[in-house]
Amino acid sequence: MNRVAIVGAGITECRGRWVEATYWELFQQATRRTLEDAKVTAAEVDSVVYGIYNDIFEHQAIPESALTGIMGMALKPGTRVTSGGATGFYAMRTAIMEVGSGMSDLVLCVGGEKATDCFDPQSKSPTPMVIDTIAKSWDPFFEYPLGATASDSYMQMCMGYNDQYPGDIGNSAIRAQIIEMLCRQGNKNPFGQRRDETVTAEQVMASRWIIAPFLRLLEACMYTEGAAGVLFASEKKAEEIAERTGVPPIWVKGVGAANESYQTGRGGQYKPLSSIVSDRVAAERAYAMAGVKPSDIQLVELHDAFVAQLMVTMGEMGFVPLGRTRMLVEEGIMADIRELGDSKRPKKGQVLINPSGGLIFGGHFVGGSNMFSMWSARREMVKRQIPLALIHGTGAINAVFGGAIVVELEEGGVR
Amino acid sequence: MRERKTNGRKMILGEAWNLPREVSEVKGKDPGTYLQFNTHMVTFYQQTYGELSRFFLGLREGRLIGARCPTCKQVMVPAATWHCPTCNFVEMKEVELPHKGVLAATAPITIFPSASFIGDAPFARGYVDVALDAPIASFLPSRLRTTTGMPRPGIFVKGLELKLVFEDERVGSIRDIFWVPMSEVPAKLREKETLLASALDFAAPREPSVEKSASGKKALGEAMAAIRAMAAKVAKSPRAQKDLAGRTHDIGVRTGGGDFALHVASGAISVEDALPKRRDFVMVAADPAVFTRWVADGSLTDAAVEGKLWLPHKEAFGVLPILDRLPRSVRRDVK
Repeated sequence: MNRVAIVGAGITECRGRWVEATYWELFQQATRRTLEDAKVTAAEVDSVVYGIYNDIFEHQAIPESALTGIMGMALKPGTRVTSGGATGFYAMRTAIMEVGSGMSDLVLCVGGEKATDCFDPQSKSPTPMVIDTIAKSWDPFFEYPLGATASDSYMQMCMGYNDQYPGDIGNSAIRAQIIEMLCRQGNKNPFGQRRDETVTAEQVMASRWIIAPFLRLLEACMYTEGAAGVLFASEKKAEEIAERTGVPPIWVKGVGAANESYQTGRGGQYKPLSSIVSDRVAAERAYAMAGVKPSDIQLVELHDAFVAQLMVTMGEMGFVPLGRTRMLVEEGIMADIRELGDSKRPKKGQVLINPSGGLIFGGHFVGGSNMFSMWSARREMVKRQIPLALIHGTGAINAVFGGAIVVELEEGGVR
Repeated sequence: MRERKTNGRKMILGEAWNLPREVSEVKGKDPGTYLQFNTHMVTFYQQTYGELSRFFLGLREGRLIGARCPTCKQVMVPAATWHCPTCNFVEMKEVELPHKGVLAATAPITIFPSASFIGDAPFARGYVDVALDAPIASFLPSRLRTTTGMPRPGIFVKGLELKLVFEDERVGSIRDIFWVPMSEVPAKLREKETLLASALDFAAPREPSVEKSASGKKALGEAMAAIRAMAAKVAKSPRAQKDLAGRTHDIGVRTGGGDFALHVASGAISVEDALPKRRDFVMVAADPAVFTRWVADGSLTDAAVEGKLWLPHKEAFGVLPILDRLPRSVRRDVK
């Protein structure tokens, strides 16, 4: 694969609902900001990849068709990617492959979502209908009729993990402490949905249950409306753009993906219930391609549906041992933003996890959440001079889709 | 799922699933007024079960079938395919499966369901290992039910032995079956195949017994005093009275400190020192402090979800959010 760089990124504000904008406007806004960031025009872009998770949310089949002209992408190739929660990751993987193959020099990857236009006439509120729409990710024959929700899906993985490793993610004080740390980080994200909130560990432990015993209201990710763009460039184009912007390119070093079977089971190729194998395999593949180990990486933007799953995923990706993910807090492996301030690198042995606030505090517009993570990782790498970062995506029921991207800021890059 | 009947047939969408055809004004975060229009995206299907029909025909007949690979010997239940994906798609053979299994992982309990399942919660679903003799096997996603009251943590845990139960009236749906803990099935029915739901009693679960203790009695005294103090404030709180408007409940409560009654009527709440003679239901908490915490802005719903407050059924659970509003309402209205 040819070298691929990230030369620009831009996001909209993350909001619980954007009554001021349709998804057309959100995608255009993210496009505009991404191109402005890279100081390029729409005309310079060779092709576009759209990340849109769900036609029901957008209320249009082929929603990307309506975006093409508005985004200034008329008469360019356009590919829409939809892979559940991992849509953003897979959209970026598609854009990376397009540049890496030599097919294009400059590919715009934009993902976003409307969600809370959904409305449940029974309860007179959006949430049950939003949940129902996501629940349509289950098959209509066996799973959907049982009434499972997305929360149950991730929670089943946490339950299975807890069966195998009791006493790890079950410690609610540890989980609440992670939430408190994520909240402080989210306060620093100028686009974050909950940037003005202060959530303490005590409040987390007093919040109502969504699913006992691992998921209280303040431990769950949000529904967000918004969009984010990332611009991928070939080496030559990247250097040219870096000269214009004065911002160093971030290089894609490794990309790993793995989707587990939809069917759960024992042995063979079935999805086990005690682990998120997709996360592990995707991360291992990304590390192998990049020639790095988890201990080399001090910045992670992780797809945190719930904080218990964040802990499991950090274990699966090799940052802490499975069964002892509490070490994130107990051993101080999760860097404390109060010590790092706005410009310091994490100390040796520490990892900065979700400086964006993640999906719990920053935002979770499904089709673009992983682009949001990439936007944040790039920002933090440049600001703090962190050489390597890992961006993680997960999705589909029972977290069967997994993706990981390792990116690098080269020493001595253009400042 | 909330259903309604037309000409005696159950319909997919109830009347609540509709909105007036209108455009309304909406305010967001930014200044200015925006418009929103009511619309829908409902598609109806007559969706074929296709190759899955065999499995559902089996359920209608009171049988549980799966597909077994002659090469790797794996058993797939339900048979998501009849050609083994790991053995060059060799044709799999139909096997009859036992009506017992083991819970493959501790099951989550759904409290806040999606729009289609409002009214059903709380409910449990999980994955059942049925083909225990097979070296490799899929798990069957299933409903899990208990005859011991509302589902709560500690029942559906990994390794639990389960009995397959069939609904008396079956249509060809995964909801035609569910599993109950084997220990709840009378011994004479445990080996019965095609055990029908009507053979088990879900309607009148036995209340769990609680041991009475001196410390429990003291805790009950504190709880009763707290509830009485709140009840007095409810009489001065328009918000709390609105919460209770139009509701009448006579609830029995058993605790480790003794029994009491909670009455809701005419926008007021009251307690008395014994179980009410006529009661809607009885709830049970070993620790009476559950009620003290409730009054101190805690939550009976959370206590039920955690398994600290036993409830006989989901209808009882439906009353708790109303009771949970009271401490907050009186705090806001009464200094």
